[in-house]
Order: sequence, then structure tokens, then C-alpha cells
Amino acid sequence: MSEVQTVENMVSITIDGKEYKAKEGEYILNAARANDIFIPAICYLTRCSPTLACRICLVEANGKQVYSCNTKVKEGMEVTVNTPNILAERRAMMEVYDVNHPLQCGVCDQSGECELQNYTLELQVDSQSYSIPDTKRETSDWSSVLHYDAGLCIVCERCTTVCKDMIGDAAIKTTKRGGASLDKAWKDEMPKDAYAMWNKLQKSVIAPSNGTGSTDCSDCGECIAVCPVGALVSRDFVYTSNAWDLRKIPAVSAHSSDGFQIYYEVKPISIDNRDEKIYRVTNEWNYVSLDGSARFGYDYENRGVTKDKKAFDLAIEAFKKAKTIRFNSMITNEEAMMLQTLKEKMGIKLYNPEVRAFQKFLTLYADASGHSLYTSSMEDSMKSDFIVSVGGALRNDSPGLKYAFNNVQKMNKGAGLYFHPVGDTLIPSFGKSVSTFTHKVGLEEATLYLVLALFSDQDKLDSSVKDYITELGGKEGLIDLVGGDSKKFIKGFDKMMKKKERFTLMVGEDYYYHDRADNLAKLIALIEQTAGFNVVMNPPKSNALGVAIICDLDDNAEGYTVGYNEIGDFRLSALGDGDLDIPAFNQQEGTVTNLSKRVVPTNVALDYGGYELNDLMKELIDDAPEETIDWTKRLPTDRGYRAVEFDSLDNYYDNAGNEHRGYLLNVLFEERDTPKVEKFYDDTLLDGDIVYRCNPPRQFNDFSAKAHQIFEPFGLYVSSSKAESLGKKVEVVFDNGTIVVDVIEDKKMEGDIMALSDFKSAENVYGLFDGSRYASVTIKEV
Amino acid sequence: MSLEQFKNRNVGTQNYVKLDLAHTPTTGWGQFKQVVGRTFKPELFVGLWVTFREMGNALVGGKMHTTQYPFEKLPISPRYRAIHDMLRLMESGNYRCIGCGLCEKICISNCISMETKYDENQRKEVSEYTINFGRCIFCGYCAEVCPELAIVHGPRYETASEQRASFSLFEDMLTPIDKLNLQQEYDGFGAISPNADENIKPTPLAY
Amino acid sequence: MDSTMLPEVTAVGVIIKAVLILAVIAAIAGFGTYIERKILAFMQRRLGPQHVGPYGLLQLAADGIKLFTKEDIIPQHANKIIFAVAPVITAATAFIALAAVPVFPGFTIPLVDVYVPSIASDINVGILFVLGMMAAGLYGPLLAGMAQANKWGILGSARTAIQFLSYEVVTGLSILAPIMMVGSLSFVDFNDYQADGTWLVVYQPVAFVLFLIAGFAETNRTPFDLLEHEAEVISGYVTEYSGMRWGLFFIGEYANMITIGVIASVVFLGGYNDFWIFPGWLMIIGKIAFSFFFMLWVRAAWPHVRPDQLMWLCWKVLMPLAVINVVITGLVMMII
Ligand code: SF4
Ligand code: SF4
Ligand code: SF4
Ligand code: SF4
Ligand code: FES
Repeated sequence: MSEVQTVENMVSITIDGKEYKAKEGEYILNAARANDIFIPAICYLTRCSPTLACRICLVEANGKQVYSCNTKVKEGMEVTVNTPNILAERRAMMEVYDVNHPLQCGVCDQSGECELQNYTLELQVDSQSYSIPDTKRETSDWSSVLHYDAGLCIVCERCTTVCKDMIGDAAIKTTKRGGASLDKAWKDEMPKDAYAMWNKLQKSVIAPSNGTGSTDCSDCGECIAVCPVGALVSRDFVYTSNAWDLRKIPAVSAHSSDGFQIYYEVKPISIDNRDEKIYRVTNEWNYVSLDGSARFGYDYENRGVTKDKKAFDLAIEAFKKAKTIRFNSMITNEEAMMLQTLKEKMGIKLYNPEVRAFQKFLTLYADASGHSLYTSSMEDSMKSDFIVSVGGALRNDSPGLKYAFNNVQKMNKGAGLYFHPVGDTLIPSFGKSVSTFTHKVGLEEATLYLVLALFSDQDKLDSSVKDYITELGGKEGLIDLVGGDSKKFIKGFDKMMKKKERFTLMVGEDYYYHDRADNLAKLIALIEQTAGFNVVMNPPKSNALGVAIICDLDDNAEGYTVGYNEIGDFRLSALGDGDLDIPAFNQQEGTVTNLSKRVVPTNVALDYGGYELNDLMKELIDDAPEETIDWTKRLPTDRGYRAVEFDSLDNYYDNAGNEHRGYLLNVLFEERDTPKVEKFYDDTLLDGDIVYRCNPPRQFNDFSAKAHQIFEPFGLYVSSSKAESLGKKVEVVFDNGTIVVDVIEDKKMEGDIMALSDFKSAENVYGLFDGSRYASVTIKEV
Repeated sequence: MSLEQFKNRNVGTQNYVKLDLAHTPTTGWGQFKQVVGRTFKPELFVGLWVTFREMGNALVGGKMHTTQYPFEKLPISPRYRAIHDMLRLMESGNYRCIGCGLCEKICISNCISMETKYDENQRKEVSEYTINFGRCIFCGYCAEVCPELAIVHGPRYETASEQRASFSLFEDMLTPIDKLNLQQEYDGFGAISPNADENIKPTPLAY
Repeated sequence: MDSTMLPEVTAVGVIIKAVLILAVIAAIAGFGTYIERKILAFMQRRLGPQHVGPYGLLQLAADGIKLFTKEDIIPQHANKIIFAVAPVITAATAFIALAAVPVFPGFTIPLVDVYVPSIASDINVGILFVLGMMAAGLYGPLLAGMAQANKWGILGSARTAIQFLSYEVVTGLSILAPIMMVGSLSFVDFNDYQADGTWLVVYQPVAFVLFLIAGFAETNRTPFDLLEHEAEVISGYVTEYSGMRWGLFFIGEYANMITIGVIASVVFLGGYNDFWIFPGWLMIIGKIAFSFFFMLWVRAAWPHVRPDQLMWLCWKVLMPLAVINVVITGLVMMII
């Protein structure tokens, strides 16, 4: 959100007699907020569409009453926030909201952070003029994490809005309440808007949109975050703590590569045990939306560790004789820098299969494009209006990019193409202008050729490429090749392209492991050059991007291996099962490089009493600094980092929604010739039973698996139809090994490809796939 | 002892007797007269008489003053802030505390801590509640803030304990269920004001 | 001096008498503390000792046990020998004084037929002896205060010196007039002098009052308890004492109170003569008891005086009065 605010796209408006600048096309409400002016508003969510459920945001603009959350600013607009009539409306609305609202503030989980309370006080409601018989509204658990108390719900529809416009699951909606209907007499007696609002409110309540009692969604918990009252709470948190008792610690979500800003909220475990624990994770929901792993995967800390000098000495020994350090992406930039230092000073190999492929791909891409890193980010993608996603199971791999893909459809009147071998039923529901292509494994290059054919400025393309495309049957041929229906698609495509200006290409993990990653990288660079696309890539997990940039990884491990949260001859582990304990992510401070190329700081949520990597560094090398965070300023400036102190890094969003978190990596641009792309061969297509290395949503690694509110099990995820044919448990035979796993049905999957989880490092799924993301296997019943 | 006595702060109008002290003699003769006067005045005997009379009153007049603490205790003011009690609802016997945590928050010496949970009746249940009396300064804020009049100051003022930190648990403070009929309504800080009714506005119940 | 009617006084009798006095007086002194607390409590409408034994009677035992078992502390810079001896002086002089005082009427122990005299040693200068012994008692507090290397102790002993010495004069002078009338220094003679039922107090009211006042001072009782007045000199000469040493001072003080009571009874209040239907022994016990009670009563009723007032009273009021009383007594005796 660091768009340059040029003079051209700013207009001036007057609010309550004072002149302000506002971005053109901005809603009055957001313009006011950016200028620190308060307009009451309940139902509006930044980055989502206005629902007009509360109507309390009424203002007078150029003499007319309008809703500030859905009226755009115009040059010279005069806005008055309060007029007597608006004040009367607002007061009536708040009185209406208070009608039959249970007097439970004393026990309510919102505990003082309640917008209903706030606005009731703000508008000085001290008496009630309205009444209606109450309806019994039952409390229910919608899923393993969602707890809904209909009695407290004020039907502001924020939860449904965020679920639809941001998350994309649209798992909840308003339904009939079935209570008494409003006496018509009120219509004449009360302000107009208040009556209209009440009329709607009285009829509605929120329920899962699939008509059953439970939601079938990704359990991200974002609806909990946005709920202005205590109606939606996580099941685990209900009635366990008052908000004011919790200490908020700004941090970074640990599991996916999105690197969302989160707050860990901590307080002592119990009366007897004054050690702290994390009670919940909250976020700045107006500016950042979390996925389930960020919100619920928080309690993986390494608890009760003390300094074990013996183990420490053994660790020093181990490092001294180590030939390789094996690690994964669950590591801060600082620690990655330490490992890199060990490599430089002691010649130890760094082995990280999770990131190595990504790192190679980044290099290939950089060579082809001349950009040291991909150009777009999650936030920029959200501002585009045409998104093409390739090579990633968006729903599983990258919640942040999924939100962007969805949000673009809802908010920017956008369009999207989704190419992936695994069929998905959710993505097409994001919008009418979304087309999905379920192609064969091995046709990844073909998809990019199709993108070239569809979007490129044909003049810029090399004749050899054009010829090749023609050879492949042009657009139509390619569409059919990658699993589309050319006739239908071509007809709709013109409409899709209407008024589209900003294009984003999302590249997923499949490509990094592709046999012809080289050619894919070139094609991507070519698309960028000729079709005006911005590219964003999804780093596999956590801090994969940081590791990829900071560490010079090796292709294989050899000799005596030290495992850092991974298998090895000597294991450092934050999971509590290693030879030496190290702090888990929520017990560390440091920085993380997230998907948006931002270096963001995270803080210590829970105490840790043992040794950390820097203690080892102090023994192993001469110039190790005192603290882990002293490494922040040693991050490699030649690779885009800045030499700044950890403590100087900001970590907040301002009222205008600008992100002030850490800093953006420096991306270098070099002019390059048009990349020479190669043809592809379809003899690489996989046949038979195909297994895809992919985690269920919310699961990423051993740490998310440890969290008690992440329930998705390890297993073989398959579509409903496939599940029928497989039975409960199967043995999957790879070329170099087998694994016996449970078969789990994923209703949102389609087709025959099966997704095998990789989040348990002990199962060594990476080894089974042997450097690729798809594998032909034999399935045996057990 | 009623609250009214404590509320009367007009101490200036109570019946004080002014002493009319004679002047100190300045001359030798004056001093001599004073000595003689004092020696032969029965003042000293008045003193003897008073003490003797009081002894009589005490022994036969039943006017003994002693309260045999700890076997007998004097009633204390309802506003006295002694060891806390947790009250129950008279009707149902359920405890009044709803677990709102306001007392925990307001406590100036941070000595209250509590655990709550979601119970099977979908209500907030206080699973444990403790006060560290080693730290409590008996300021009464907790009783004053409590919206349910659940935590109150009881009349038990003996706070001596073997340890510096002495904790009371929920059980210790809660009115025993079999003594429910003996539970006293609290009259001290935080109790409902006598004119509470006047300050309540009616809510329309038009249906 | 003619007491021929009495059986012969044997050594055994005297020893028994001495042991009796020691035992009984020491016990009474202890008991006196109980009585004192009770009386003071009643006068203040309190209950007094209540919980050890019935009516708190065993409080005495409790205190005794406490005193015996308490750590005996001798301050580092104290003169240890004197510090140790001082309480003994107080106790010893108090009891020695009692040797010449008729405490109970004489009686014969049945069976063994040993006569126990009313007085351990009926020396013919009994009064002089008693007064002398009591005056010697002054050394107890004086030495105690000076030996303990404590400023409060020093103040206490200074006060001891002035108070005891000054009031010695009043005691002596006030009792001189009765002596003139009786013409003997033996207590037995005093007793016999009043055998007709007319108490000497009738002839010598002024001497009686003066003697009482001086008695209070000699025994260090309120309103003249300046020697160990807590508000001024902590505990005066006993500041550093604890345990049994302190207990000896205590016993000494109570024994002295009894002695004064006995002297007052025998000299002024008719001694152990039978009175109406009451036998002599009952009379003397009653009188002693009353004078003891009177001391407590006064303590309950009156505040104490300042040291300067004490001196002023002694030298400017009591002593002249005593002298005048002696002179008048002499004149009257000459005339009659
Ligand atoms: S939602 Fe708000 S107003 Fe309603 S009970 Fe909770 S705190 Fe009170
Ligand atoms: S559950 Fe919360 S967010 Fe959803 S409509 Fe009700 S009050 Fe609004
Ligand atoms: S009396 Fe005051 S210090 Fe004691 S628990 Fe209550 S609020 Fe805390
Ligand atoms: S303030 Fe009262 S109701 Fe609230 S938690 Fe404390 S005792 Fe319970
Ligand atoms: S905020 Fe605009 S209608 Fe609710």
C-alpha cells in the first residue's frame, strides 16, 4: 500500500469547513479516516464492499444525506459530519441496536472493545424509545473454531462481507430470524434510515450459507476478527479472558510465506502457573486478513526449557565436525544470516530442500528478466484487475494470494485465470469473470504460452515464438490443450478484458520443482516484458524468501549433518524433541522476509530459558554479536537488505491503511534482451495415479501441526469421487519408497490427482518426491 | 450500629464542655493559697470515690466494659473493610460472581486473579478465584466496582497468618451453601444507594 | 515490756517464724500482683486476668514460670557483680525488716508444742530497726541503676537517692510523735498500748497521714512512682533487668508494701488486739489488707507527681508539718 500519492490523483474536499486532500475515487469515510476525522461507521470494512447494513455513517455531502462508506469523493465536495437530523438518525440507530441486546457486557468476550458499547456511549444513548418482543436466538458452534452467539449479533454483516469479499469462501450469510415483525407505526414515529435499518435487522441473523448448522470453510477466523461485538468468538477463547488482561505483542505470522502482521495476546496460564501463554491472535483486520494457520497456529512454543550446558557443549562439538546443516524455512533472517556466516567461515554446507528449488528459480528468473526479484507483492496484486495464477494450489499454498485473487474479483471488477492440474471448486466461485483450467501435469509451459498468446503485445514477440504458437494451434489450440473450452472461453474473454489495466501473474511452487524451470522462468520474464504483467511468486513457506536471498544453499547434504528443526545426526529443535532445545518462532525476535518482499520485525511473545543459535555462534565464530537482533544490521545489503537496527523498525498500519512495517527489499532492475524461450515437449506428461505434494489449508509444518486449534490431519487429500474409490487407508508406492496414509476427502478438490501432505518432517515426504512436486505412484490398498 | 451514626459528620455541634481553668498564681501567697486549697479540698477524695464507685458499678452494677475477644467480638461498621466474602444469590444459592473480571482489573495492588471458562450451560463460569491477602490493602475498590455485589468486605478482620502471602480461594470466601440463610446483605462501599430506585429510568415494553 | 504470760520463745520457733514470713510474704507479694491487677481492672471497669486458672488465679503461677524461665541478661558494660547483687539487696532488706515486725499473733503448734511468736525477733528497738532496714533498701535501686550502664538506669537511681533519702526524714519524724506517746520502740509495746481499743490514729491523725504519704514514697508507689516511671525514664533502675532478677525487685517492692501496711496497722490502727467480736489475727490481717488495698486504690485514682513537686512536697510541706506535730505532741504531753 505504498502507492505514491501524486498530485494528479488527489482531490480537495471540505469536511466540516476544513479543507483536506483525498485520493480520487476514495470513499468519503476512508478519506476522512486518512485525515484523522472521525465518522461513526459500523458495517464498513476497508478493502471490502460497503453493505449499508448500519447506515450510521450518514453524512451530508453537498447538501444531501449520503452514506459516507459508499459515496466517492469529488473535487470540491463539501461534507458535514453532523447535522441535527443526522444526529437524530444516529441516535435512533444506536437505540435500535440496543433493543433486546442482552445485558451481558460483564461477561461478554468483547470486554470493553465493543463497538456497540462504544457507539452507544459516543452517541450518548441514555434511554430507550423502541421495543419489540425478543426472539430466542441460539448459540451455536459453526465449526471446530467458530462460536456464534446469535443473541449478541447486531447483523452488521461484517463477517459475511469479509468472508465473501476477502477470504472468498462465502461460508456464511444472513438468513431469516423469524421473529416478530416491526410495527408499521414506528415508521412514522422514527427517523427514516433508522427504521429501514431496524426493519432489516429484525428480520435477519447470520448462519452458514450451506444451509446446515456448520460452515464448510477454511477456518481462517477472520469473521471473528471483524465482529464488532462478542457474537463471534473462537471456541477456544470463549469466556477465558478479558481483552484488557491480555498483553499484545506485535509479531509476524509464522507458517505461510505471507508474513501477515499479527498480535500475540498473552497472559499467565492460570492462578497456579504464572508462566504466560498465548490466548489468541488478533490482527488489524481493516488492513490485513489472516489465514487459519496465522490465527490459530500459535501455541507451538518450546516450553519449560532451561539452559542445558551439557547439550550445549555437545552442540558445539557437533557444529565443529558438521559437514552439513539441514534446515527449513521456519527461521528468521537473522538466523539464516548466522547459518550463512557458518558456511562462509567454516565451510559447512547448507541444505534446505524446501527453499533450494525456489532459490534456483529466483536466479533463473533474475537471469531471464534482469529483475533481482519479482516485481509485485500481495498488496499490489490486490490493486490489479486481472490476475493469472499458475503453478500453485492457491487455496492451500498461499492464503494471502488467494485473498488477493478473490478480492480483485469482488472489489476491482476484476477477472482471473487459474491454471492448475488439481481441480478446485472454490476458485470459480470468486467471481463471474474467473476461468479455471485443469491441465495435465507437464503442460505448465503450455499455460504460459497461452498467457503469451492471450495477453502479449504481438509486436513485441519474437517471430519464432509467434510461429510456435501458431504451430500449437494459436489461442484456441492452446486453450483446448490446457483443458479449456476454446469456443466458450474466447467469447467471454473480450468481456473479461474490458477496462482492464493492471495485470498480475501469480507463480506458485509447482514451477520451482519443474524439470524445465529454466524455460518457465524465461517465459515468465517474456510475459512480463511483452504483456505488461507484474509478477508475484509464492515463496513455499514461512521465511523461504529470506532464506533464498540470504543463504547460499547447496543441492545435497553430505557427511555429518546438524538438523535445525529437521532430521540430522545432531538435532537442534524447537519442537522439544531434539538434542538441543532452541526457541520456537513465537519465542524469538528478529525479522522475516515475507511474500511482499518486506522485511518485517517479529517480537518475543513467550519467555524462553534455554540457548539459542546466537549462543552457539558466540562459541563458534569470533565476531558474533551479543544479541540475535544485532544480526539485523548485518543482513546482506548487496542482496537488497538494509543495514538498520532491529529496534528502528516500525510495525504498524496508519489510519490511511499505509503499512509501516520494517522496510521493502531493494529490487534491482537491469535491461535485458528478450529472453529466448524454448519449445516444450509433451512426452514429459505424467500418467496413471498422480500424487501432488500439498498440504491442507492451515497446515504448513511441524509447528502448525503442534498447535491445538489446527485440526487438519496428515494424509492423502482427494476429491470426493476419488475418495469413494480409495477407501480409508492406502499405501502409496513411490519410486524410492512407500508411505501408508489415511485418505481424507476434500470436498473442494476435483479430479483424480491426490494431495499428499508434507508438513511432518519426520515423514520425509520431500525425499519421496525427490525434488519434484508431482509423482507417478502406485496405490495399494491396505 | 447503624450507618446514620457514621454519616453524621457535624462534629462541631456535639456537646462539648468548656473547661474554666483558674489562673496560675503569680505571687508566693497566691501559690500558698493554691496549695492549701488543693490540699484541703476534697478533690483527691473525689478521685478515690470515682474509682471506688466504678468498681462497684463493675462488680455489682453489671457495667463491666471488657469484651472478651476473641470469644466475644464487637460489631463493626458495615463500612469496615475486612476480609472479603463472596456472596450467593438468596433465591437459587448460585454464586453471584459472573466472572466479569472488573475486580481483577481495578485492584490497586494487583492481588486478585481468576480463571474463567465456558461451562456446559453456555455461561461464563468462574473456575477459580483468589485474593492474595499478603498484598491486599483493603481499599474496597473491588467491592465497589463489582456489578453484582458478589465480592464484598465481610466482618472477619483477623488477618494474621503464618505466611506473608496468604491466599484465599473462591471456596474460602463463598458463603457456605448451608449457611445461606445467615448471609448478610452488604451495606458498605459499592452497595446500592438508598435512592437507587429514583435514578432508574423505565424501558419501554410496549408489546 | 512485760510479757510473762507468753510461753518461752525458742530458737525453733523463731526459725519457723522466719520461714513462715518468707514463704507467706513472698507468696502474698506474688499474689499481690494478681490482686493489684484485678483491683485496678475493676476500678476501670475491666475484668483483669481472666484466663489462666479460675478467675485468672493462676496468672501468678504463669508469671512466676515466665520470670524463672526468662533469659537472664546482664548488659555487656554493666558492672556485673553489683548488677547481680542489687536485686538481692532490695529483696533481702525487705524481708529482714519484716523480722522485727509482728505479723501474726503468736501461736503454739499443737503436738510438738513449739511456740511460734508473733514477731521473729522482738528487739526492743523494733521500729528503729525496721525503718533502718527500709532505709538500707535504698541501696538496691541505687546500685542497680548505677551498675547497668544505661542512662535511664542512672536517672532512676538518682531519683531513688533523692526520693528515698528525703522521705526517710518524713517517715522518721512522723512516727516520732507516737513513739513519744508510747515511750517505746518495740512494736509489741505499741500493740499493747492500744489494747484498750483506742487507736493511736485518734491521738495522732497528722502523724498517720504523714506516715502514709511517706510510706507511698518509700515503697515507690503511685503517686510517687518516679523511680521507674515508664513515660519518663523507661523503667528507671530496672530498665536492664529481666527474669528473676527483675522478679526480686518486684517481690521486694511488694514486701515493702506489706511492711508499711503492718507498721501502719500496728502503730496507728490498733495492732493485733481483739476488737469487738473479731479476734486479733483477723483484725491485723484485715488492716494490712486494707492498707494494701488502699495503695492500689490510690494508684487507680491519682496521677503521679513531678520530681520537683515531690521534693517541694517533702521539704516544704510534709517535713515542717511533721516537726510541728512532734512539737505539739511534746507540748501536750508536758501539759497533761
Ligand atoms: S457485544 Fe458489546 S454490548 Fe453486547 S454484551 Fe458484549 S460488550 Fe456488551
Ligand atoms: S456475527 Fe458479528 S460481524 Fe457478523 S453480523 Fe453479527 S455482529 Fe456483525
Ligand atoms: S480491597 Fe483493594 S487491594 Fe484488596 S483485593 Fe480489593 S481492590 Fe484489591
Ligand atoms: S467484579 Fe464481582 S462479578 Fe465481577 S469478577 Fe469480580 S467478584 Fe465477580
Ligand atoms: S458504515 Fe456505512 S452503512 Fe454501515
